[in-house]
Amino acid sequence: MDIKEYIQSGIIEQYVLGLADPDEVAELQLLRNEYPELHEAISDFEQIFEETIRANQVQPPVFIKSAVEKQLFGDDHSGAIVIENAFAAEPDKKSTSGLWKYLAAACIILLVASTALNFYFYSGYKKSQDQYETLLAERNTLQANNASYQQDLKMFQDSVMKRVEMKGMPGKEQNVATVLWNQNSKDVYIYARSMQEVPTGKQYQLWAIVDGKPVNAGLITDCVGLCKMNRIDHAEAFAITLENAGGSPTPTLTEMYVFGKI
Amino acid sequence: MPETLSYTESELVALLKQRTQAAFSYLYDNYSGALYSVVLSILQDKELANDVLQEVFVKVWRQIDQYDPGKGRLFTWLVNISRNASIDTLRSKSYNAQKQIRELTETVYTAAGSINTETDKIGLRKIVNLLKEEHKILIELAYFQGYTQDEISKLLNIPLGTVKTRLRSALIQLKDFLKK
Repeated sequence: MDIKEYIQSGIIEQYVLGLADPDEVAELQLLRNEYPELHEAISDFEQIFEETIRANQVQPPVFIKSAVEKQLFGDDHSGAIVIENAFAAEPDKKSTSGLWKYLAAACIILLVASTALNFYFYSGYKKSQDQYETLLAERNTLQANNASYQQDLKMFQDSVMKRVEMKGMPGKEQNVATVLWNQNSKDVYIYARSMQEVPTGKQYQLWAIVDGKPVNAGLITDCVGLCKMNRIDHAEAFAITLENAGGSPTPTLTEMYVFGKI
Repeated sequence: MPETLSYTESELVALLKQRTQAAFSYLYDNYSGALYSVVLSILQDKELANDVLQEVFVKVWRQIDQYDPGKGRLFTWLVNISRNASIDTLRSKSYNAQKQIRELTETVYTAAGSINTETDKIGLRKIVNLLKEEHKILIELAYFQGYTQDEISKLLNIPLGTVKTRLRSALIQLKDFLKK
């Protein structure tokens, strides 16, 4: 703060003449305590101001003095001293502090209301956030599945694949499955198109019939679309049996569900 | 030499707070001339000025406890009470703002000078009249008419910023004249 500049700015004159606005007044009051030169400059101007006014004063009519004395002290000098209620002179203060109290109360109410709203909005937000996250997860899964299906479709169309349709056994005609057998790589894939739901503790097992003998081709799991099974070099047929979970070294022939000849 | 005592401002304030008639008497005798000139320079009407002067002394008597020496001298405080009371009267009476401006502009801009030459010499007016036109009008409006800077900006159709800077310059000029 360049106090010299401030002192010369005209603000002092403005203040003494009562022409400064409340902000300017407040600033000056603060600064005068900090800068003694400012305090002095203000006093100096006030002196000059007084001298000037006094130099050009005008005497009022004589009757005014007694008129005021009458008002303040009563008719005779021994009369009641009219001390106007000193507190009445403070309406400004009261109304100002009343205003501040009102403002303070209003602020507090607003703050409380705002805080309540915050809690309300946050819980709403949290809920939306959770729902969004769930949706995202579902979407990701669906995307992954879709990619899987796309691949499977390609495989079905791939000419290198030998397709073996497996029909349901008597009594289990509704079961249908398809084997895709890559003739180059000898990878085997199973597509369980319509297989009965597996009871708990049980599992479907794929068999390749090689030279009349059943060879384990893998357990059918909960895979999406095509399941990759064991590699089989030669086979005359494929079959699926229902075994205990974990599979069996030899097929339970009574539990054969589907069978497909190459 | 008169037997009148001479009190410093702080002595006078202490006396006034005791609310003795003697204190009042001293105050009136030593300050009424100055305060009357302030009132008259604003109202320019003796009848009104008489009423307002009485009002001022009653107000001062009631509000003396509110005077804060940290904020300024007693004299300044008294003058501001006088000025405020005069402006309130000015604005509440049949004087309306338009009329004032017309009279004022005539006063300021005609070569003939003011209508009432007597008032030119009262209080601050004597000094204010020495200022150049654009400064004079601002002090007239702000000090003697009680217009806020915002109101002046609208009245004269000048930007508020210009009013502020110009008023400050006017006051600096005024101070220079006072010092002479």
